Amino acid sequence: MDTGGDLVLTGVRKLYGPAVVLDVDQVVLRRGEVVGLVGENGAGKSTMMGVVAGSVTPDAGTVSIAGQMLDSGGTLRAQELGVAMVSQEFPLVGQLSVAENLLLGRRPSDRRFLVDRRATYAAAAELLDAVGLRVNPRRRVDSLSVAQRQLIEIAKALGRRPLVLILDEPTSALGPAESERLLGFARRHAAGGGIVIFVGHRLAEVRAVADRVLVLRNGRLISDLTPAEATEQRIIRDMVGKDLLPEGELTEPEGDSQLAFEAIALAAPGLGPLDLAVRPGEVLGVAGLMGSGRSRLLHVVMGALASSGGKMRLAGVSYHPRQPTDAVAAGVGLVPEDRKTQALLVDAPIRWNVTLAILRRISWRHLLLMPRRERGEAAAIVNLARVRCRSAEQPARSLSGGNQQRMIFGRWMAAKPRLLLLDEPTRGVDVGAKAEIYKLIDEARKEGMAILVASSELEELMGICHRIVVLRRGRITAELDRSEFSKERIIAAAAIDLVAA
Amino acid sequence: MAADPSEDLATRTEGDPIATVDAGVPPLLRRLADSPEIGIIAALIVAVIVFTSINPLFLSVSDLQNPLGVDLAGFGILAVGESIVIMTGGIDLSVGSLTAFFVVGSAWLNVSEHIPVGFAFALTILAGAAWGLWHAFWITRLGVAPFVITLVTFIFAAGADEALAPNPITISSPPFLALVGSSVAGVPIAVVIFAVIALAAWFFLERTYIGRQIYAVGGNKEAARLAGIPTARRITLAYVASGSCAAVAGLIVASRITSGTADSVSGYELIAIAAAVIGGVSLIGGQGRIVGAVAGAALLVALTDGLVTIGVNAYYQPMVVGVVLFFAVILDAVRTRFRGRAAARTGLEAGKGAGGEPAAAGGDP
Repeated sequence: MDTGGDLVLTGVRKLYGPAVVLDVDQVVLRRGEVVGLVGENGAGKSTMMGVVAGSVTPDAGTVSIAGQMLDSGGTLRAQELGVAMVSQEFPLVGQLSVAENLLLGRRPSDRRFLVDRRATYAAAAELLDAVGLRVNPRRRVDSLSVAQRQLIEIAKALGRRPLVLILDEPTSALGPAESERLLGFARRHAAGGGIVIFVGHRLAEVRAVADRVLVLRNGRLISDLTPAEATEQRIIRDMVGKDLLPEGELTEPEGDSQLAFEAIALAAPGLGPLDLAVRPGEVLGVAGLMGSGRSRLLHVVMGALASSGGKMRLAGVSYHPRQPTDAVAAGVGLVPEDRKTQALLVDAPIRWNVTLAILRRISWRHLLLMPRRERGEAAAIVNLARVRCRSAEQPARSLSGGNQQRMIFGRWMAAKPRLLLLDEPTRGVDVGAKAEIYKLIDEARKEGMAILVASSELEELMGICHRIVVLRRGRITAELDRSEFSKERIIAAAAIDLVAA
Repeated sequence: MAADPSEDLATRTEGDPIATVDAGVPPLLRRLADSPEIGIIAALIVAVIVFTSINPLFLSVSDLQNPLGVDLAGFGILAVGESIVIMTGGIDLSVGSLTAFFVVGSAWLNVSEHIPVGFAFALTILAGAAWGLWHAFWITRLGVAPFVITLVTFIFAAGADEALAPNPITISSPPFLALVGSSVAGVPIAVVIFAVIALAAWFFLERTYIGRQIYAVGGNKEAARLAGIPTARRITLAYVASGSCAAVAGLIVASRITSGTADSVSGYELIAIAAAVIGGVSLIGGQGRIVGAVAGAALLVALTDGLVTIGVNAYYQPMVVGVVLFFAVILDAVRTRFRGRAAARTGLEAGKGAGGEPAAAGGDP
């Protein structure tokens, strides 16, 4: 087999103490390929990239680049062999100019001691042009935005004319347009005979750019997928090691004729009039584009926004929340969209966070907080919602995003509402935590809560909901049963008619 | 009940995803180390020991000529009310001016309007509560900044006392003067009142669900609102408490100077705020305890009165107080920083251990 132009890892192992962080038999990356590399945090992606870039010395195995061994020569040897890495942190020197950063470690001319400024700026301008960034090469790097710095990092890497270009979560700081441009560089670099390793968290991007997707889990290579195989579902399953969505079919809610919640001609500024009904144990999804009124609908039901017309009924009883206090008293709970500003008491202990919505109920004579009882309740909620912590006295700040989200779920599951409103329930949590949140939603459903969930992720809604309503400009444009779910139908119903506009 | 929460992590088997959280109460020593008030209480004890060793009469509260107890009562009550407001994330700048206003107002009611002492007291406190309600109304209904609306009262009330009584009104009614002049079991009545108010505030904030909701409103108002807490009512309660405290403080000052004199007090609001803040009540809101605010007030009063007791030149007193405050505040900042770092570290470990990451296996003996 001719592997002359390729990057080959053979039997590479890396141990930290007794822990195996990387253990792959053989990986061959060919010229002309963009290879997506995905995995959860700690799956070994960074270690693998470190091995290729020479910054991590493997305990066993070899790396060869274009037929030459990358022994323990470190990063310099890797650079000689044509490896360039764009990492998540920017090792740019803030006090130096753009040009100086771009050409750091290289000299554009052969003068021995003095820096040839003119040549430096000219070379820099050329590199900036290549990435389409229009900044003065004389500007200091610390005066640039994060996105601009990211592009400079890429220009710097491209300037070395590498064979292997490693992009480690390069789009995390970029907006959509800039990300798109960056994906373009990756494709062009591969088309020109290079190898691109694209490490990414945004699966859609990885799928869009990669010719192959490698999935790592616990340091091992789990799968090597072609673009056709690499569906989001498959990638996630391989990353997490289990299906993201709860196992088993979504059982239909019990044949309870009583509706848990009903809205009739409900209206508010920018919303409705619309009709909705949810049965106990039913999960109703709310889809729609940004600004279509998803969050607004939930906030109106929660009493956090005033309705301007229509009626609501909760378990058959007329329901008119004037503020969230009324909603909570009537048995409605909301896990809001933005954890940090709308849900967390970050500096308070976990205990305060999880008992917040049930304080009155757990108080003696509905007035006095009994410390022992409150601690007991808090521990029970923490265990129920599977919040990972040492103790409920830890500040909420010390938890990861997924853990904080489970904590907020715990707050509401403890309140045992009839109707649970979820606004983007998995925003900003990693894939593993997503799976657990879906499990919590499933448990809440099985307990007979009616659930109204708004989400911008269609796959999420299609996975967990019995029915989906689609909003456009505050009105329902489609209502789909589980058997009718399809992305195309939802998108068609959600999309604003561009021709008419 | 496991004594050490960290045992949970150590005894957990590898791969077990969920820590079982212990519902036990942490040991006393740990709680002490975690209390932000501990530094200020230590400083207070040192100050008292130093002053008493120089002048043994320093602590003699039973001596009615000694202003220590009564000073503490006045400032302490204001600090308690101010703390509750600060805990909601607000500020009440009006309490000093209101105290001065009620010094005159209570005397005017009792002496000029011939209203019996009991009624005059009740009316004064009601007026204080009403003034708090007024602040809360604009803050919760129109979203006026607490700083601004209470500053308006600060300015208004500073003139209102002179308008009400251009000349001092001499108080002669024995029950009025008994507030400071009489004592229960050797403790001036004013001090007893202060103790009762402080205890009630402590109990309310830490042992009732409404108190917890006040902290929640200060910690994150929107989160509290969406969790079903009636935020406007909780904020209102805080300003009413603060206004009432200013009225009680006014009664005590009037009783002490035995007259309703305009401009009798000034700058009290800043002392109340300083007491709360050095006692660990964070100006961001949602944090701190009454114990700390009381200790803060006690330290300030001990310093000012103590320096008089040991005969320090009056010019130097503010400077000495300033230096001591400086150290108290810096110490607190340093302590917070270290504690924050420690919390971040344990959080990180907990996250790692639970994540089932290989790197977490490093915790072996």
